[in-house]
Order: sequence, then C-alpha cells, then structure tokens
Amino acid sequence: MKHLDMSGAVRQGASIFVFLAVLTGLEFFIAVSMDAIILLGAVALMKVGLVMYYYMHVYKLNAESGEDRHSPEYKTATDRLGLWLFLLSDSFVFGGLAVARFNLLGLTRPHLNQLLGLGVTSVLLLSSFFMNRAESSMAHGDRRGFMTGMLVTLALGLTFVAGVLGIEWPTAIAEGVSPSTGAAGAIFFMMTGMHAFHVVTGLIFLAIVWRNGMRGLYSAERHWAVEAAAVYWHFVDVVWIFFYPALYLVGRLA
Amino acid sequence: MRHFVIVGILIAILTPLIYLGIAANNVMPIQASVQALPVDWMWDMDAAAIAFLFSIIMVPLLYSLVVFRRRKGDTADGEHMEGNTRLEVTWTVLPLLVVTVFAYLGAYTLGETRIQAPDAMQIAVTAQQWDWRFDYPEGFSSNELHLPVNRQVVLRMQSLDVIHSFWVPEFRIKQDVVPGRTTEYRITPIRVGSYKVRCAEMCGTSHSYMERPVVVSSEAEYEAWVREQAAAAAALLAQGGPESGKALVAQNGCLACHSTDGSALTGPTWRGLFGSTVDLADGSRVTADEAYLAESVLDPGAKVVAGFAPGIMPKFSLTDAEVKDIVAYLETIK
Amino acid sequence: MRKFTKSALFRGLVWQLGGWFVGALILTGIRAVMGLPPFGLFFFSEPAWVFGGFIGVLSFIAGSGIANDWFKWAKGEPTPEHHADPPGWEKYFSVSLDHKVIGIQYTVTSLFLLVVGGSFALVFRTELAEPGMQFLSLQWYNTLMSLHGIGMIIGILLGVAGVMNYLVPMLIGAQDMAFPRMNAFSFWIAVPGVVLLLSSLALGGFDTGWTGYPPLSARGPVGTQMFFLGVFTAGWSSILGGLNLIATTLRLRAKGMTAFRMPILVWAAMATSIITLTATQLIGLSFQLVMFQRLLGMGFFDPAKGGNPVLFQHLFWFYSHPAVYVFVLPGLGVISELLPVFVRKPLYGYRWVAMSSIGIALVGFLVWAHHMFASGMNSYLQVPFMYSTLLVAVPTGVKFFSWVATVWKGKIEMPTPMLFVLGGIVVFLLGGLSGPPNATVATDLHLTDTYFIVGHFHDTIFGGYVFPFFAAIYYWFPKATGRRMNERLGKLHFWLMTPSFLILTLTMMRIGLLGMRRRIADYDPALGLSAYHVVMTICGFLIALSVAIFLFNLIRSIRQGERAEGNIWNSRSPEWQVPSPMPVHNFDREFEVVGEPYDYGLKDSQYTRFITEPREGESHQ
Repeated sequence: MKHLDMSGAVRQGASIFVFLAVLTGLEFFIAVSMDAIILLGAVALMKVGLVMYYYMHVYKLNAESGEDRHSPEYKTATDRLGLWLFLLSDSFVFGGLAVARFNLLGLTRPHLNQLLGLGVTSVLLLSSFFMNRAESSMAHGDRRGFMTGMLVTLALGLTFVAGVLGIEWPTAIAEGVSPSTGAAGAIFFMMTGMHAFHVVTGLIFLAIVWRNGMRGLYSAERHWAVEAAAVYWHFVDVVWIFFYPALYLVGRLA
Repeated sequence: MRHFVIVGILIAILTPLIYLGIAANNVMPIQASVQALPVDWMWDMDAAAIAFLFSIIMVPLLYSLVVFRRRKGDTADGEHMEGNTRLEVTWTVLPLLVVTVFAYLGAYTLGETRIQAPDAMQIAVTAQQWDWRFDYPEGFSSNELHLPVNRQVVLRMQSLDVIHSFWVPEFRIKQDVVPGRTTEYRITPIRVGSYKVRCAEMCGTSHSYMERPVVVSSEAEYEAWVREQAAAAAALLAQGGPESGKALVAQNGCLACHSTDGSALTGPTWRGLFGSTVDLADGSRVTADEAYLAESVLDPGAKVVAGFAPGIMPKFSLTDAEVKDIVAYLETIK
Repeated sequence: MRKFTKSALFRGLVWQLGGWFVGALILTGIRAVMGLPPFGLFFFSEPAWVFGGFIGVLSFIAGSGIANDWFKWAKGEPTPEHHADPPGWEKYFSVSLDHKVIGIQYTVTSLFLLVVGGSFALVFRTELAEPGMQFLSLQWYNTLMSLHGIGMIIGILLGVAGVMNYLVPMLIGAQDMAFPRMNAFSFWIAVPGVVLLLSSLALGGFDTGWTGYPPLSARGPVGTQMFFLGVFTAGWSSILGGLNLIATTLRLRAKGMTAFRMPILVWAAMATSIITLTATQLIGLSFQLVMFQRLLGMGFFDPAKGGNPVLFQHLFWFYSHPAVYVFVLPGLGVISELLPVFVRKPLYGYRWVAMSSIGIALVGFLVWAHHMFASGMNSYLQVPFMYSTLLVAVPTGVKFFSWVATVWKGKIEMPTPMLFVLGGIVVFLLGGLSGPPNATVATDLHLTDTYFIVGHFHDTIFGGYVFPFFAAIYYWFPKATGRRMNERLGKLHFWLMTPSFLILTLTMMRIGLLGMRRRIADYDPALGLSAYHVVMTICGFLIALSVAIFLFNLIRSIRQGERAEGNIWNSRSPEWQVPSPMPVHNFDREFEVVGEPYDYGLKDSQYTRFITEPREGESHQ
C-alpha cells in the first residue's frame, strides 16, 4: 500500500475532484453547443478512469497480500476481489439498461429539467469527494476526519435521493415524461429508479459503517468495511457518470 | 499404423452411408417454393458435414472401446501421450476454415432466398390470436391464402396483439409477425396444391390451432377465385344489414375471442348480448344498445366488461356503415 | 419430525408463506385506500401477489437465518469463523457453511426439480401421444410445457452449482469456498425462488414457454409474474455462486497449483462462473422490465407506447444462450476429468482442452441473436451472428478430438461412471452436429421453432449435462458417503436410458423437419406424425423408469451400498488421496502440487504431495 502523508492524500483527492468538476462542466458545454455523442462518451470515460483509479483504487486488486491464507491481509485481498466481481456483475444490469435506452430512444432524449440534472450530478460528485476524504482519513488514523467525511457523504447522498425521487420525478411527470406514457418515460424512470435503489443501499451501507465507526471498530490498519463502502459508493457514482449524459445530454430533444 | 488404416477405411465407408441414409429418408417436406431449393441444398451440405464429422469422431471412439479395452488381469497403465501441438493446431485451423466456408455458403443461400422479382404481387397479412387474415390487392379479404403458381408474392405482415410466426413447411421459410412493425415474407410457389400456414411462435392458449389453408393454383384458377371473392364481398357489403355484418365479423377475426353460443372465451359472448344489461369493470352498469355496442367496437377500452381484462382487444378502424352492419348482426344473435 | 420443524428449511418456508400473505394484504390495503380495485381474479390483485411474493422472499431470508451472521456484522458483533453442523441428516436442512453440505443440498434440490420437471414432461408427452386433446386443457398443457422448460433449467443450474460447489474446493486443496456465508446464501435463495416458480401453477399458470416473450407474457395470467419473480430470485443463486467460485479458484489454490496444473474441471467451473456472474444479470433485467410493464404500464416492449418487443429478445438471449454453456461446460469438464482415470492415459492436449472451455464461454457471449433469425431483427445482423455461431464449433471440436485421442490406445475400463461419460460424448456429439443446420441462416428459417430444435437442445443438454451429471454422481458418491452405488443397477440405468433417449431425440428432429411446430398442445393429424408421437411417448416413459432405478439405487446405497473408503478409482486427483467420506475441513494436511494432474502411465510421477507437518490445527480464528 502506498503511504502518503495525510495532507498529500487530501490534496490528491481535491485535485481529482477539480478535474471531475471541470470535465462535468465540459460535458454540459459540449451538450449545449454541439451534437457530439463520441465526445461525450470520451469525457465520460475519462471521468470514470479518474474515479476508478484515484477514488476506487482499482490497482489495489493487484496488491501483494502474502502467502499466509489465514492472515487478515490475505482475507481482505480476497474480499476486495469479491467486491469487484460483484461490481462487474452489477454493471451488466446498468449496461443492459443503457442498451435498452439507446435501442428505444436512439439519439433523442426526453424533456427533462437540465438545471436539476446538473444539480444532482454535482451533489453526487461532491459526495464522492467527501467519501474519498473520509476513507483516507481512516487510513491515516484520523477518526474525527473520518466521521465528518462520512456524515457529509451521507447528507449529500440523501440530498441526491431527495433530488431525484422528490423533485426530479414529479417535475418529469409534470412535463409529460411519466412511467406509463411512453417508452421514453419508462426507460427514464427505470434507469433513475434502478440507480436510486443502488444509492439507497449505499446509504444504508454508509450508515452502518458510520455507526460502527463511532463505536471505534475501525483502525488505520483494519478498516475493510470502510473501504468496501467507499468503493461501492464510488461505483454508484461511476454509473451516474454514464447515466447522466445518456439521459440528459446525448442526442436531440424528442 | 495398422489401427489408423482400419479406422481410415471405416470412416471412408461410414461417411457416405450416413449421408445417403439421411438423403434417402425424405427428411424434408415436398419443395413447394423456389426458396425451398437453396434451403434444401444448404441442408444437404450440412448433412454431408454431419456425416463426415460423426464418422471421424465415432469410428475411432468405438474402435478404441473394442480394440483397446482392458483385458482381464491387465493392470498396466496406458501409453503416456500428453499431446501433440501440431495435431492440435491442425484440428483447430481446419475446422476454422470449414466453418468459414459454411458461413459463406449460409450467407449465399440466405441471399438466394431473398431475391426479389420485379412483378411480385403484394398481399397484406394480419395475424391475431389465433387467426390469420389475408387482404388481397383487389380489396377483399379472406381467411384463406390463395396464390398463383410461379409468381413471386410478398406478404406484408402485421400483428394485432402478440408475436406470431408465419410458416408453411413446404415453403421452408419462416418469419415472425411482430406487433408494431411490418415484416416481409417473400415466396414464389412452384407447385400446385393445398398447404397450411401454421403459427410457429408460441402465441397463447390456442396457439396450436392457429392454422389456415394455403392454396397454390394455376394463374387462371387464381384469377377466377379472386373475381369470385371480390364480387361476393362487394355484393355482401353493398347489401348492408346483418349479413354484411356477419361477413365483417368473420373478416376481422372477432370470433377468435367472442363466441355466439354463450361460452366465454377471451372476450364476452355475443349470445343474447343486445339489449341486455352489462356489468362493467368499474362497477357501473350499462344497457347494451346500439351506441354502446358501436363504441365497444371502435374503442374497446372505453367500457370494459367486468371479469375481462382490458387492453386485449385492438381498436378496429371501420366505417360508420360497417359498424352499423356489425351491430345489426349482433342484434340477431339471440 | 420435531427436528424438522426447527430446521432452517421449514422455518424459512413458513416465514415465506406468512410474509407473502402479509405483504399481499398490505398492498391490498394500500390499493383500497388509493381507490383502486383491491381484489383480482385470484383473490388478491396482481400487484399484491407480486409485492407479497417479494416480501415472502425477504421473510424467507429472515426466517431461515441465512443472513444472521451478516446482520451481526452490521451491528458490529463478532461471529465465529465456523459453525458446527448438527450431526446426521439434520445438517442438510439447516444452514451449513460447509461447501460439501451445500453441494449436496444443491444436488438434492436439483434432483427434486428435475424429477418435478420430468414428470410434467411425462404428463404432456402422454397428452401428445394422440392428436386431439385427451385429458389436459390447452392452458394446462401450455403451463406444464412452460414449467417443464424453466423447471429443468433451474434444476440444471442448481445441479451444476452442486457439482462445482462440492468438487472445486476439494480439487484445488482449499478448506472451503472463499465466502462460506455467501455460499450458503446462494443455495438458500434458490429455495424461495423455486417456491415462487411452482406457485404459478395455482395462479393461472403461464402460457409463454420458458422464454416469456412479451407482448404475450405482458398479458398472461398472474402465474406469469410468479414465473418472472421466481427466476429472478433463483438467478441470484447463480450470480453469487459464480462470484464465489471465481474468487475461490483465484485465491485458495494449493501451493504449486499454477493455472495449467489445475484439474480440468476447475477450468470448466471458471468458464461457467464467468458467464453466470455477468450474463445472468440480463435475464434478471429483462424479466424485471416485463414485470414493471405489467405492474406500472411502463411500455418497454409495448409497441403502442413506442416500445420494442424485439429488444426483450436481445436482452433475454444475451443470457439465455450463454446459459446453455453454463449447463454443458461443467459436464464437459466432468467428461475430461473422468476419461483419463478410466483409460489410464493423460488427458490429450490438456492446455487446449482448458482453453477451449474459456473459448466456448467467450464466443458464447457473441452468438445470442442466432435465436432470432426469424424474429424480424435487422437483417444485417444475420450473417455476423451466423459466423460467430459456427465459430463455437471450433473449440467444441478441439474437445471432441482431444477426447478421442485420450481414449485412443488407452487401457479402457467401463464401470458405470465411464459408461455415462461415453454416453455423454455420443449424445453431445449428436447435439453438436445438429447445430450447424440451425446456424446456417437459410436452413434455420425452416428449422427454428420446430421439434428439430427441441431434439437438438435435448441432445446437447443431455449429453453435456445429464449424462456427465449421472457420471459424476456415480463417481463421487463414494467420496461423499464412503459407500458405492450398485454397479448392476447403474448399468441397467444406462442401458435403459441411452437407447430410449437417442430414439426420442432423433424422432423429435425428424418430425420437426416434417412440420411439427414447437410448443403445440395438439397437432394436425393430416401431418401423419401420430405413430412417431406414440414411439416418443414410450421412450419418455422408459427414460422415467431408468431414472426411477437410479433414484432407488441412490437412496438404497446411502445405507446399504458396498463400503468404499479408499481410492477406488485409482485416481491421481487430490480428493482421492484421503479416505472417504471426506473429513469436515477436507484435508487434514495441506498438500502441494508437484506434477501434472493427468500423468497416468508415467512412472513415479506424482500430482500432489502432502506437506508432512500437520496443519496448525484450529489455532487461526
């Protein structure tokens, strides 16, 4: 494992966040100024690359875990593999939904509130930043930083769910995009619904970890549950990195 | 070496035997269309490949079982052969080439079945649970598909409800009929006779009975049939009233779901319907008068009868006069 | 009896039914408050049945206690590494973390489902013996036919999981799977799924066939929803089981067991797990979409709302074609595993056979649309999918040629397991060879949706799964029980089943070519196929009889079989180097791999060597 001192980790997390925010802005700018699906895809891939490497630490899959099958390091490495396999599996659900979206709607998109879309996207992105902060705090033994980071992440996650389910859904229905009117509404509600379901499970996971963290169950050396919650949370963000342009930005208005 | 020679000879004998066995067995129905020829030719190539591959694997396998069987009292192990890369590469690359050839043949024969004739005649096919209807260019429709021999026909097929599949085994080709789109079925009959179109995609309760006659006749006989049908249809519709309504009901396939003898099918029965009081799904009641019946034909979802599922019956586009005739016919079913 | 009512199985089922009822009641109440009609054709409304069914699954999890350790983890409480199993038969009804117990639980559940599905087939096979409807209604015929299909498929998936669960940790020298709790969960989650699936019988059935194509499946009775929900639930068993197997194989192999020194069955399990881990999600998704279309009017596949019925078929077959390889790859692995033992020769071209499993699995992801040549999909897709489909023949051919070369010049013995291995090869060959006519598009336009296809896939699945599955049971039964199954009954089973089955499927292919459509309850006597149907029905009953003999043999041998505690097959494989039945934590001493797995006939070679010092007991937590 790489050992940064705490301020280094914070600086790295922050600069990655700035990159992601700039790319999201770029994405939005591309969408309003031209009809360039490939460009949008490229930006989304860049964002996912950054998140997977710097926030989800995908390279840890390759980390050395020793020979002893019964050591905690070895078990954590196995758990990590299991988690990533699960995410791989889960990504087929979202991939299938994305395929369905392009099959049904082609290069058109439903009438949605752009400001809301950008808003919830920013909230989720910001939550990933705080999640990363919480995790690296724990890795450096800073429990207070960890608890604060977790709380902010939880709050932002709740905001996202409230934004999508509480504001975006009624707004969409008011604009005529409802689950039962047509394929566009159906696929919009299915994609956001499936994603929101994952966000909610992620929130439950975060809440459990937060509670156990408060009781002092994690240490700088042993905090697999924190890492798992973080990786899962970032995965939910990765899905949204694809779903946001697929629903809001790609193609012409129907 | 001796073993290889024997096996080689056996393969050389068995391959043609199996091939001829398949060929001599009349495995395919008669060829009644131009499109059946490439299909059967392709089948023949497949059969040859099957015969060869079957022999090349089964002969050495069975030969080993007989010749290399462990003798009583023999406790030794077999010869230590781990493999041979050259051999493995051979039996990877050769099949790869064969497969490529077959893919080419498959694409080629597929193309053959798709050749379009410029003078192809068009017939519209409507499939619904569990019936076929054919609309002829002369403006009448029938539940029988009549085709002139030696002339290409394009069936433009639509489904009113679920997925069906148009298959006449003697024509070989099969094409699904998918709701929401029009699929094409291109065929050139070459043999006078009576066949049947059979629905080949599971389409619900009476799927097995979704069959209708297909008659291939000479051009002259076909023309005569068309004239007769067109005249009869025109006469019936011009006449108006219940008889005309009965014809419309048959044409539109209503009887697949509505009985006239009181039994409940997918939809309510028509016996004694006119003038009766009907319980609706929303709890209200309505008298089955002309207005209600006309509405139910044109917009079935408006008033759904209690105990029946909404959304099953399609909206029919009929003229007012036609609807009037149908209602007049319903009046007669006591 | 008392013990049974305390078991996880009983408690789970009671909780499931209770949860189902309560869930349905809750939704009925909500509907009443919202002013929607609260009741439907089967007492509860359709959404109430579905919601209740879902709550029932959750209740099963809570009632059976399969997730208790996870709840403790969430609460921050410690749990022991192992739970001691109750002695005797009870452990098979309780939540055990031992992969061997779970493997047997899977296998028995699989046999149960296969017998149920097979009985359905016998019922409608009898109905088909004569044209006209004799004793079944059309709806019942369609329901039994559909349930036969999906019941067999889930039965086979559970059987595959059973074989792999039981064997893979043993073959790689692991104490257990990487995630024992998830392993237990994977098995148990299938149980409520099966209950849901079978409940469709009481809720109007479903007449869509196992493929459940909308729009037909979007309008059938409530039973259709139970079918979807049941498959969705049982699907998690496959997904998590696959995940576990991959992690186990990658992380827990014995010292020295490099990739190309793994037993070949482990390669097959790996290839299978890649498919179940990923593709299964798409059948789950496609079924969910239809469920939501029915419940909320979401028009994914409804053309009137701009939906596309063909999209369902793409999503569905993206799993359901590779699923066939899930059924057959482990079986082909069993064939490759057992052949060298009974011919006393190395597996010919081990690396090629190993890679061919992976090859089949990967190519299998690219062939799904060959099920849709007549579906009205874009016609430019037909030729590429034809080519990818034909490509599957290449790795499959490698397997066949390697088997033949393995048998060639061996010292062949033919006890019951070997008979089933050979039967499997022959039947699978027929299944494989009847494949290319379905791949070359022009011929497929005639063959698709006929009995030719029915014959083709019964051959592939019997050859690739059923025969090897029987071989595996005859072969590893002594490992699990310390007794062997009766040889004479085993041979009777084989010689009764194989010819009947060959006649059955070849007749299927023949009448399919002549015009017998798939999935029909009744057929036109004018086709002249009645005599064939009588023959097929008789064959069906003979197969059932042979399976009854097998079950009798199996049950009898558990207590009365001849004792067999040593290496009775004289195998090099690690699990036979320790006495049977297998000890609780598999190997008392760890072993390391020092040679090739199948070096039969090579003097003084060894596959595994026990590391002499005994393991440090249970000192680890």
